[in-house]
Amino acid sequence: MPSGETALKELRDKLVALDFDGSRKAAQDALAAGVPPQKIVSDGIAEGMNIVGKKFELSEYFLSELIVAGEIAKEITQLLQPYMKGVEIKKRGKVVVGTVRGDLHDIGKNIVAMMLETAGFEVIDLGSDVPAEAFVEATKKHNPDIIGMSALLTVTMTEMANVIEQLKKSGLRNKVKVIVGGAPLTEEYAKSIGADAFGRDAVQGTEICKSWVTK
Amino acid sequence: MPLKFSGMATLSPSDLVFGTSKRPLSYGIGLKIGSGHVVPELKYFTKSASQGRTEDIKNEVVQITTDVLQRASELGVPSLQLDTEFTFVETSRPTMVGEITSAQKALLEKGCRESGISAGLRTTIADMRDPRRDGFDPDSRARMMESFEAAASNGADVLSIESEGGKDVFNHAVVRQDLAGVVFALGVLAPIDMARLWKDIVGIATRAGVIPGGDTACAFGNTALRLAGGVGQMTISHIFAAVVRAMSASRSLVAYEEGATGPGKDCGYENVILKAITGFPMSMEGKTSASAHSSLVGNVSAAACDLWSNEQVQNDRMFSGSAPQAFLEMLHYDTKLMNQAQKDGKALVLRDLLVNSDKFSDPQAFVLSPDVAWSIGESTVTESDDQYRRTVKAGQKALDLILASEGLALSESERRFGLRLRRAFSSLPGELDDFVPKMTSTYRAKVASFRPKDYGL
Repeated sequence: MPSGETALKELRDKLVALDFDGSRKAAQDALAAGVPPQKIVSDGIAEGMNIVGKKFELSEYFLSELIVAGEIAKEITQLLQPYMKGVEIKKRGKVVVGTVRGDLHDIGKNIVAMMLETAGFEVIDLGSDVPAEAFVEATKKHNPDIIGMSALLTVTMTEMANVIEQLKKSGLRNKVKVIVGGAPLTEEYAKSIGADAFGRDAVQGTEICKSWVTK
Repeated sequence: MPLKFSGMATLSPSDLVFGTSKRPLSYGIGLKIGSGHVVPELKYFTKSASQGRTEDIKNEVVQITTDVLQRASELGVPSLQLDTEFTFVETSRPTMVGEITSAQKALLEKGCRESGISAGLRTTIADMRDPRRDGFDPDSRARMMESFEAAASNGADVLSIESEGGKDVFNHAVVRQDLAGVVFALGVLAPIDMARLWKDIVGIATRAGVIPGGDTACAFGNTALRLAGGVGQMTISHIFAAVVRAMSASRSLVAYEEGATGPGKDCGYENVILKAITGFPMSMEGKTSASAHSSLVGNVSAAACDLWSNEQVQNDRMFSGSAPQAFLEMLHYDTKLMNQAQKDGKALVLRDLLVNSDKFSDPQAFVLSPDVAWSIGESTVTESDDQYRRTVKAGQKALDLILASEGLALSESERRFGLRLRRAFSSLPGELDDFVPKMTSTYRAKVASFRPKDYGL
């Protein structure tokens, strides 16, 4: 059986290699070697994610690989949950995301949702073709810090203004930050409809959301 | 009995040149496609589509058609094709589709009589089935077919669709660069769905005496293209996007196996591979579709086109008139140059200039180059009876040619990913029967909207 330190190194290496089965085995080896689960999360998973993040920043890894690593990290952390009784992994914040009414394009929104989860947010994904009323209802129900809206078409992006208007009418607008994104949008358009920010891409959008909840 | 393409209709990459195809077509108002000249194919998006009122949309389409015919007459455009793409909301109203098609065709006939222009009208029906909401419910499918019927019986000359079978699995797989998932979507799910859809579309077209045009892998190949983005963008690997493109040809071939005859629809960049295999004429888009999306294949995509399109432009006003008028003018001059090259016997010279200006800039341009596209086609047809194996073959061939190319300057990260992709290909099972059960179970767990029974699995 590998020592605790060897298993943690293996976990980092396997995570960086995007190897789910290998990561899971290394995490189990670390547990068997007596490494506390919190340490497996901090020195194995979080450290591994740092390395992947650096590789992405240096253009060695694609965003897609960062997403896959994030999903592996999330799954391994969930496997460790039963061993971490009494220890709550605190979420960075809560975000409701959706593609607005009339628009079925969801791939960009999905990438943002995955990036937010990787960054430690709890994400409530309303899907695509989401009416304004559903954004309002989700805001009432989940009390999120942030609402993220996506649109890919010039004819559907106008629906974002309607969602913001409905949030105002429901007295919810001042309780949440609103970020919008999608190919036809601009910073100016986001401002004109009363959004708090425009996310040029998933990476920038996630950074903006992180800055809001850490302030 | 579906036709199987077990050989190449074209003899060599030299047969892949703009304006000429092995199986030219005649339809519409005196229109000839693929018999020696390239025809502009104009597309436009109404501003009233977002409001959804039939009368407003119809009036705007009529206005666009009037504007375009006027500009065509002013410029001396000899022939053109219009492509009206109905949104999923519009497709759900077959009566509206019929009314708009009828009004547009009447205008075209009148305009062509007055000016002597040859013209055709393509109608593209939206795939309004949404697996994320209600699965492939029979009602949505029935309304799509009603809309096809309405278009065919009211003046459409060519019927097309960008069908989305397998799209939910594909979306999940492509953002993760999961080769097995992409192969499952393009080589198993989409062909099952397309075979059923196209049997019906070809039946409608045949009964109405119109052309069953073809299906594009827009929802697949162009999603990968958009994710890959521009030079240096790192969302997904550009090699991966190029391999997806090559594999998407195997998927789109199903429409032709079921009886489609071209012209293939513009946003199917895989059309160059399909032209090599089938010999049917193809519409392509490139630099003049920058109004709809950016790409790294703006010139090379014109190399073998028979119709040259702008993909989509919203009906806004510009200094020179409406945006559709302006884009018709751009398409006209592009096609005029290509047709002059044909006339002067210099088509291959111009084709190669178009190709070489893009070919080595990006793997996605590389796989659309006639020599590479032809080789991918040749690999594809060696497995004509097995859609899974031919999809894998097409992807492997594209990857091998990309990695072996001395002209392509691949970054370290791209080369690393290319080698990873090669390992992923090696780990795919050789037989469909070994592949499907595992993937069905994997994706049933991963993608909530994926229902194997929609595909008879």
